[in-house]
Amino acid sequence: MFDNLTSKFQIIFNKIRNRGKLSEEDIKSCLREIQIALLEADVNYRVVKEFVDDLSQQMQEEKVSESLTPSQQIIKIVNEEIVKILGSKQKDIVISPTPPTLILLVGLQGTGKTTTAVKLAYYLREKGHKLLLVATDIQRPAAIEQLKILSEKSNFPVFSLGKTEKAVNIIQGAIKYASKKDIDVLIIDTAGRLHIDDYLMNELKEIEKDISPHEKLLVVDAMAGQDALNSAKVFGDKIDLSGVILTKLDGDSRGGVALSLKKVLGVPIKFIGVGEKIDNFQVFHPERMASRILGMGDLLTLIEKAESAYNSEELKEIDKKIRAHDFDLNDFYFQLKNMKNMGSIDQIMEMVPGFGRIKNKIPLNNIVNGEKELKKFEAIISSMTVEERENPYLINGSRRKRIARGSGTQISEVNRLLKQFFKLKEILKKRPALKDISFN
Amino acid sequence: MKINNLISQFKSGLDKSRKELLGKLELLFNKSHNKADFIEKLEELLILSDVGVSATQEILNEFKQMDFSEYKEKDFIYFKEKLAEILINILKDNPTGINIDREKLNIIMLVGVNGSGKTSVAGKIAYLLKKENHRILMVPADTFRAAAIQQLKILSDQAGVEMINTQEGADPAAVVYDGINAAYARKKEVVIIDTAGRLHTKTNLMKELEKIIRVIKKEAKEYSLEILQVIDATMGQNVISQVSLFHKTLGVTGLVLTKMDGTAKGGIVIALKKELNIPVKFVSWGEKLSNLYYFEAPTFVQALLD
Repeated sequence: MFDNLTSKFQIIFNKIRNRGKLSEEDIKSCLREIQIALLEADVNYRVVKEFVDDLSQQMQEEKVSESLTPSQQIIKIVNEEIVKILGSKQKDIVISPTPPTLILLVGLQGTGKTTTAVKLAYYLREKGHKLLLVATDIQRPAAIEQLKILSEKSNFPVFSLGKTEKAVNIIQGAIKYASKKDIDVLIIDTAGRLHIDDYLMNELKEIEKDISPHEKLLVVDAMAGQDALNSAKVFGDKIDLSGVILTKLDGDSRGGVALSLKKVLGVPIKFIGVGEKIDNFQVFHPERMASRILGMGDLLTLIEKAESAYNSEELKEIDKKIRAHDFDLNDFYFQLKNMKNMGSIDQIMEMVPGFGRIKNKIPLNNIVNGEKELKKFEAIISSMTVEERENPYLINGSRRKRIARGSGTQISEVNRLLKQFFKLKEILKKRPALKDISFN
Repeated sequence: MKINNLISQFKSGLDKSRKELLGKLELLFNKSHNKADFIEKLEELLILSDVGVSATQEILNEFKQMDFSEYKEKDFIYFKEKLAEILINILKDNPTGINIDREKLNIIMLVGVNGSGKTSVAGKIAYLLKKENHRILMVPADTFRAAAIQQLKILSDQAGVEMINTQEGADPAAVVYDGINAAYARKKEVVIIDTAGRLHTKTNLMKELEKIIRVIKKEAKEYSLEILQVIDATMGQNVISQVSLFHKTLGVTGLVLTKMDGTAKGGIVIALKKELNIPVKFVSWGEKLSNLYYFEAPTFVQALLD
């Protein structure tokens, strides 16, 4: 996410990091490179111009050239400016005090509206809401089926009225149905449409007028180019948008469209889609995104994930065991499971500060192999007896042979696991108590 | 198809972008007071068309070398032609369309990121080749996206071609295996394979495509393989990364540019051509099956600027 922009900034700052003062010329070339980086990130040309102008003024006002630590100061200013554009606080979905809450998803073709509808439903169900998905895309072949299949997989009801009914009628039918079933949130999936398609754009206007949805969210592909600003503007002119959902941020797109959208629409970016799975959906955090742009990693997300993957009681229990030097393979197994709960290794690595800088140097295969290794370790430990897990020193040659056979691995792999476990145990003995660990 | 016909079809499809560009060009030349001003406006125009920073810089360099002292006397058509010439120069050497060899099994595989329009393009290519009297079999290897198989089935029916059936969740390589064998059994000339959308950064999913290609190479005898990557004209510079990675993994033989009916300029084609030199074979827009055309560089640029 934003990798390329991040590395661009890092190159710029590395250039000036080791120098004391900056000349006017240095600042100028720094600004020029920031401008190119942003353009290559698909931030809209006009937005970039404005951004760089603001930046230049700030730098003069804050007398960057006289500062002793110009690189830190520039990072601070650029960071603040990006946060300012992205919006300073995150806003959740507005739930109407009088149910049902109506959420309308709109956007161009292929941005991921249907997938997003189901992800959003899942997110809201976790918060205790009862949901209904409404299929109004009668344009694209099999679009209604797509929503139905996706919803069925996650046990969400879908309301549809076939392929001939008008969208407004379908939604009104859905509202009636919802009131009977005690459903409090409706998510309305609409057909993808071009912003210059007057017929379909007027349909949106009609839905807004007749149904008055509480949330009108524009779904935008994070890979979008310069034209995203134009199309978003037309959607925003046609209906009164309340927010944006940015999809496909799990690729390597620089996602500069986030900056452009916020600037032109003035509505918050509420969520981001980060993968194919139903829970690959996160609340958008401007500060985190900005620090990510600047290569400071996304520590907050990582810490939050770690917290939800481990519950603190379990964590204390393990800590106690480590203190008492009886950390065994059961605990190791438990750790492996938790790591998997946090996401794939590359997802976790993305959030580690400075990783953006070295990412290109790590072959993707290593990451994939790392994940395979974890799966293998899990299989090996599963093939051990309870006794063996509690006391790994028991595991002799013939036991190793049996475990390898049971887990479908090689004896050498069992050996490697045990070696790594004993090494980890050594390291853990020397490590500080839990409260001393900080993320700095 | 006659070239004039093609030009007019291009023009109607590109009408929106054409008008916008034309209007802007006129504005550009009328309101530019000096060379620097003109260059900056041209930069804006090209960047906003998704041509990308480096390709834009190279185009600007050509204008920077030009003598502007008499430009007021020359009307703006001169600059327009100059721009067209530069753009055509970049896009030249672009073998377009696909050759179907009736003696062989012609396998066309569509790949690309999610939402670029692969399934629609599969239907459109089927329609085009059906009109040229080829015997076609559709293979729904997108067994991941819900209802993708149904969508391809509907489009196949509309195009009047056969599709082999499969189920959601089936192994795509196995579907392709069945497809190729069915194509031989049913004496087909063309096999069109629709694959699931995938982000180019997902190693496992890219490996899945490699597996499909291994199956094709093993099962097909006397065949030609066309791997077409579908790219969305509204996307930005990330397309370069998309195409590079797909190409590195699979050896992409051509590109299909979709969604050219909006206000997006498709300038990414120019950046792509400069950076990767993979030919653009088709351009597509709209929801009708007939809205697919062979990409012709001069026509493309002419329609854009004329």
